[in-house]
Amino acid sequence: MRLEILLIILGMTAVTFIPRFLPMAFMSRLKVPKRLSVFLEYVPVAVLAALVFPAVFAADEGGFGIDPTLLLSAGIVLLFSYKLRNLWGAVVLGMAVYWGLSSF
Amino acid sequence: MSKDIREGSKAALPIVLGYLPVGMAYGVLARAAGLSTLEATGMSVFVFAGASQFIAVSMLGAGAAAFPVILTTFIVNSRHVLMTSALARYFKGLPVGKIIPLSGQVTDESFAVAMADVSLVTGRPNYLMALQMTAYGSWVSGSIIGALFGSIIDSSSYGIPFAMTALFICLLVMQIRNRVHVIVAVTAGVLALGLQGILPNNLHLIIAATGAAGTGLWLTLRRETMNGVWSESNKE
Repeated sequence: MRLEILLIILGMTAVTFIPRFLPMAFMSRLKVPKRLSVFLEYVPVAVLAALVFPAVFAADEGGFGIDPTLLLSAGIVLLFSYKLRNLWGAVVLGMAVYWGLSSF
Repeated sequence: MSKDIREGSKAALPIVLGYLPVGMAYGVLARAAGLSTLEATGMSVFVFAGASQFIAVSMLGAGAAAFPVILTTFIVNSRHVLMTSALARYFKGLPVGKIIPLSGQVTDESFAVAMADVSLVTGRPNYLMALQMTAYGSWVSGSIIGALFGSIIDSSSYGIPFAMTALFICLLVMQIRNRVHVIVAVTAGVLALGLQGILPNNLHLIIAATGAAGTGLWLTLRRETMNGVWSESNKE
């Protein structure tokens, strides 16, 4: 392993660890104000939606776009998830549908 | 304790299905960018943050120096602040020796799976640890396979590009329990779509998620004021 790459990896490790570690270390010890705790309750749904929308409304070359294969696959997974709430099934079905649709 | 580990590992299986091929894609790209198999694997072992690793190897392939790569990694991964803050409440008073490995392996995916049913996570660090270790194992394995034999499998086929999206859609559906959740989700989604072309390095994720969670807080406080009492109903 080249020294420069090793140093880059160690630097990346440090800057990735800090935002993961510090909030959990402090907030598991402090009394969290009610407003902050309500805010944090909405974080999971907010993070997920911020990940999902750009992944679904995406163009081939990146950025915003409408792709029928993507939208249809997403719609089917959405319906399946709403009815059955099965993560494993959603991933397998999603991959199969997307694979099938993109072969046409 | 062994029950926690068993259940946690099992909960990670949908993530494994996504991490293996995406880790392989990372391994292929890392090799193509000029990293050795050991360097590509080392990055997965130590950093374990997919999006930032893809960005780092593409920057390195384009001849970027150490500092910009590390700074970009920091910006991309600063979004984890939101997730580890949200997770902290389920591990009150956990010793720092346990917080280090637990927080060090938080990813978008493991966070989202953990939050799908918080009753499974509350006070069970070993459950979350097993969930994250299983995801970690699949990410590192995928990276090694990709770096060694990456050219064998075409990572743009078999629906692989859609695996993570499908996982996130199902997790999002499971998170939505009331009308405020719907509003928060749509706000976050629209903000993310609008900001992704403007803000570099995944910063749109942080702004969109913070703005939307703030909207949720505002709606909750407003309802509380209108009802005159603290409403517990938003919790479930």
